[in-house]
Amino acid sequence: MIIVEDVFKRYQTLHGPGKWVLQGVSFEIPPKLNVGLIGGNGAGKSTLLRLVGGVDQPTRGRIERRCRVSWPMGFGGGLQGSLTGRQNAKFVCRVHGHEHDLPERLEQIQAFAEIGDAFDEPVKTYSSGMRARLQFALSLAFDFDVYISDEITAVGDAAFRAKAASAFKTLASRASLIMVSHGEGTLRQFCQAGIWIHEGRAHWFDKIDDALRAYKESIKQP
Amino acid sequence: MEAARNSLHITFAVWKALFLREALARLFAGRGAWFWLLAEPVSHIVFLMVIFSAIRIHTVGGIDTGTWIMVGLLSFFVFRRTATQVTNAVNANQALFTYRQVKPVDAALVRGMLEGFLMALVTGVLLFGYYLARGISTPSDVLAVLGALTGLWLFGLGFGLVMSVVGELVPEVARVVNLAMTPLYLASGAMFPLTSVPASVRSWLLLNPVAHGMEAARLGFVSHYHAVSELSLGYLFGSALVTIFLGLALHRRFAVRLSTQ
Repeated sequence: MIIVEDVFKRYQTLHGPGKWVLQGVSFEIPPKLNVGLIGGNGAGKSTLLRLVGGVDQPTRGRIERRCRVSWPMGFGGGLQGSLTGRQNAKFVCRVHGHEHDLPERLEQIQAFAEIGDAFDEPVKTYSSGMRARLQFALSLAFDFDVYISDEITAVGDAAFRAKAASAFKTLASRASLIMVSHGEGTLRQFCQAGIWIHEGRAHWFDKIDDALRAYKESIKQP
Repeated sequence: MEAARNSLHITFAVWKALFLREALARLFAGRGAWFWLLAEPVSHIVFLMVIFSAIRIHTVGGIDTGTWIMVGLLSFFVFRRTATQVTNAVNANQALFTYRQVKPVDAALVRGMLEGFLMALVTGVLLFGYYLARGISTPSDVLAVLGALTGLWLFGLGFGLVMSVVGELVPEVARVVNLAMTPLYLASGAMFPLTSVPASVRSWLLLNPVAHGMEAARLGFVSHYHAVSELSLGYLFGSALVTIFLGLALHRRFAVRLSTQ
């Protein structure tokens, strides 16, 4: 269960406080429900994910996580380019307190990522799809109740998307997913409910199709 | 599901992970990264030794010039490297704050520890090498040398902790401090003995805690060294304590600002 209560967020810029990104966002995500975040570029989707993931703090308001929430998997963040995939994986395992079963976790990560020998090459040599595979594999190696994904399925190929989707189907009994994506197919494939972010506010829809429809209607207007 | 870890467990796990990661990056990123760790102090030391022998100064403050240069520069580097590494810690590890277990202060403290460890190795190797090459005596008071170096390390850590926060909040300050590092090198008495400076100027130069640490290290190395009479290890350790406290307080106060863009 994740409770977001009247959250406001703005970023500090070089010229003082910036404009509000989120203004009074409130919703509750019940356990075991996959939610998709929808909205235009710059609407505040990633900001909201970072807040939910606890990486950033809201300017005002409150976020309560009554479960284990993963870090936001997304572009670039969380992987050190000069280190290899394996070294990055080791770091993440250690940070999450899995020093004792490191070899098994590494094996699991390597098997799910399916990036072959590149696992022992520096991450900066990876393509964006390979990075996405590694990040997804990393987060699946730990028992989170909620996984947060910021667009990373978008860069994966069809095989990887299918694999990720089936992984979440098997996880569905105990874990859920909060994701940002611009791919309608992906959202329908993974999510049941949807949140449409528009002009700093969040609108909850029990059905992802309704959220997509609301979003599409908003961009139709001239 | 496993039981939740307590804060102390998480912090230690993070420190260990960061330490190994940083050590890997510092020693093996790029060709012969470990070689450059040694090369920087060696180049300074050799350069100064050549200059001093060219102008035929064989003793400084009653001790052999080589020893004076070597011990002084190594202690200066203990401070400067720790300070710059810790200062850059937050910026360099920005990507890792994606994992909310990792806090900016962790990155700064771990870098300080790693640099202390590396400088202990570097100092040990170079002093041993110098001993083999010139056969000059071992330190007369090992504990005093260690004390001085520890003080410099702690002050470097404190200075870096403060600067890692200030530099993130006001990037201009970081540039100014970077500029100030070279004058500091001169003003700490790495190239000329502070005893040769008039007392009125010296009292100003000795406001700099690093100068105290360097003089104390030389005095510990050779007991008949004519150190500056105002030498006070207490001042060095006091400065270290104040800056570390201030640095930790700043990290606490600006924790959120540091980990977000």
